[in-house]
Amino acid sequence: MVLNSDDDTMSVINADTYKEVSRIHIGRGPHHLIESPDRHTLVIAMSGSNELALIDRTTGVEKEHVTASDPYQIGYSPDSKWFVAASLRLDRIDVYDGKTLELVHRLPAATMPSHIAFSADSKTVFVTLQGTNSLTSIDLASGKVNWTVDVGPTPAGVITRPSGTLLVGIMGANYIVEVDPSNGNVTRKITTGNGAHNFLASPDGKTLYVTNRVAGTVSALNADTLEIENTLPAPGGPDDMAMSPDGQELWVTGRWHAWVDVIELASGTLKTTVPVGRSPHGIFVY
Amino acid sequence: MFDALQRIINQLQGSIFETAIQPVLFQLGLMDWSEDVFDGIEFALYGALAVIVAYGLCRPLELWAPVESWEERRAVRTDIVYTLIHRVGVVPAILFLLLAPIGVFIDSSLRFDGYIPPEIEQMVTPLFNHPFATFVVYMVVLDLGEYWRHRLQHRLPWWWALHSLHHDQRQMTLWSDDRNHILDDVLALVWSGTLAMLIDVPPGEYPLVLIGFRLIESLSHTNVRLSFGRIGSTVLVGPQFHRVHHSIEHADAPFARSRGCNFAVILPIWDVIFGTRRRAETFPSTGVASLTGPAIRCGYLKHQWEGFRRLFAALAHLIDRRRAGFVAALPAE
Repeated sequence: MVLNSDDDTMSVINADTYKEVSRIHIGRGPHHLIESPDRHTLVIAMSGSNELALIDRTTGVEKEHVTASDPYQIGYSPDSKWFVAASLRLDRIDVYDGKTLELVHRLPAATMPSHIAFSADSKTVFVTLQGTNSLTSIDLASGKVNWTVDVGPTPAGVITRPSGTLLVGIMGANYIVEVDPSNGNVTRKITTGNGAHNFLASPDGKTLYVTNRVAGTVSALNADTLEIENTLPAPGGPDDMAMSPDGQELWVTGRWHAWVDVIELASGTLKTTVPVGRSPHGIFVY
Repeated sequence: MFDALQRIINQLQGSIFETAIQPVLFQLGLMDWSEDVFDGIEFALYGALAVIVAYGLCRPLELWAPVESWEERRAVRTDIVYTLIHRVGVVPAILFLLLAPIGVFIDSSLRFDGYIPPEIEQMVTPLFNHPFATFVVYMVVLDLGEYWRHRLQHRLPWWWALHSLHHDQRQMTLWSDDRNHILDDVLALVWSGTLAMLIDVPPGEYPLVLIGFRLIESLSHTNVRLSFGRIGSTVLVGPQFHRVHHSIEHADAPFARSRGCNFAVILPIWDVIFGTRRRAETFPSTGVASLTGPAIRCGYLKHQWEGFRRLFAALAHLIDRRRAGFVAALPAE
């Protein structure tokens, strides 16, 4: 499933034939989608129509629409207690009850809050602020900001490592940074490629993939050492990623060319591109 | 066919952005603008497409049955410059970059306080999953807004001072639609953008809506002896209908009090409903009687400066009625 954010549609692709089998009008400005904690439901955030669409993961049937003002990037805390939505366009972060999806905190966030990661203990959410080159840490229970620090130009993706440290993609530069979650200090820079954007950990946890938006590549890093093991071709403005269930292919949305790159990991080559709708963003493979 | 065309436009958009624009944004540290600029390229490409289609459609009509023929066409060349600057790129890009943040600020403030604009599909549920029908509804609502903006352009002296630049053309052709003062374009964008925000037109569809308007407006300004007839002229604005609006004599009674007639942009029904329809099967000369000479037969920059002069004169008259103002160009009451 691929969300075409400029078309208000969702493309369904047959992963065996690499063909788009249907394109469904889903709602305005669909950007990201995640699994619910019980893995039965896909939650699609539609920033333009101010709602979340809850889709049955097995049947693909829409179960419910939930009103949520301008949800862009979304995420459940590891303990499922919290659901957080970053509103990139409206400069705020909304914290919802993870069970009822009722709003608990609405926090101004200057500016352009983008990607989300949680601490392993589910007490803290970390959000990149693209417009002010910073990363902010928020205590979920109180809604108080722990710290906000400068991490580099136009930070995008953020992920929590098993060790607890954070990695942030610096889209305005050619590197990712490692950040101490206790105080926001940048402890390390790792060069990946121009426009370092987003992360995906391989299912076995050994490899970390980083999309490089400007370079048109994906860097494959050793998840322990953070050393680059391979650089994969991903033309068209690589953004979000998903792994095929067999772990053989990496699927990457190409924002600027309305296609999805399919990369064969064994050979490290671009296997094919699958045409979809305009500005494909979120992707989910199953 | 439309899907194929859209695919070509989007691939071109992606290639231009990826190879020429994105590297510049990256070097300048402006990557947070990437999605806005990417959308702007699409806007410009559709603008260029609209110009090409308008030329392909309307120019043969002008050659086939022109209302007027001129040996000296400098004023037409000025309108071509207007079209290239105002429709394809520079002006829309500047307006977009200046006005978009203001729109986002207003939108965010309203939404932060819990106001979420209603979607037309939610109010008229049969429209859900029918994007083309929804698109048509947006066009109709925005067209009503354009009708009233156009009424005010003719009614308010300071606005008429600006809008008179559009009307002072005596060689009206398919290129004349974009002959507008840049401040008038700002007002138009604020007006239609606000309305689009209130009825929640998706930002991605807004360029398509504008292009739909522009194509019909190019046709309505075309120098062709073509009328849609008694019934057709109630359905869609055409060259004859709009030429009557541009008539150099359009201040004649009984329309003097409203300073004009046939204000509709796409749907003439608004003129019927609001009593400004003027039935006439004539093809009158165009222009503003009191505006002649170099002020109307000049290049782009001089014409823009002339617009500022008229505006300041009109504003000066508003402040101090003893000053002459821009009344000379106003149709007599």
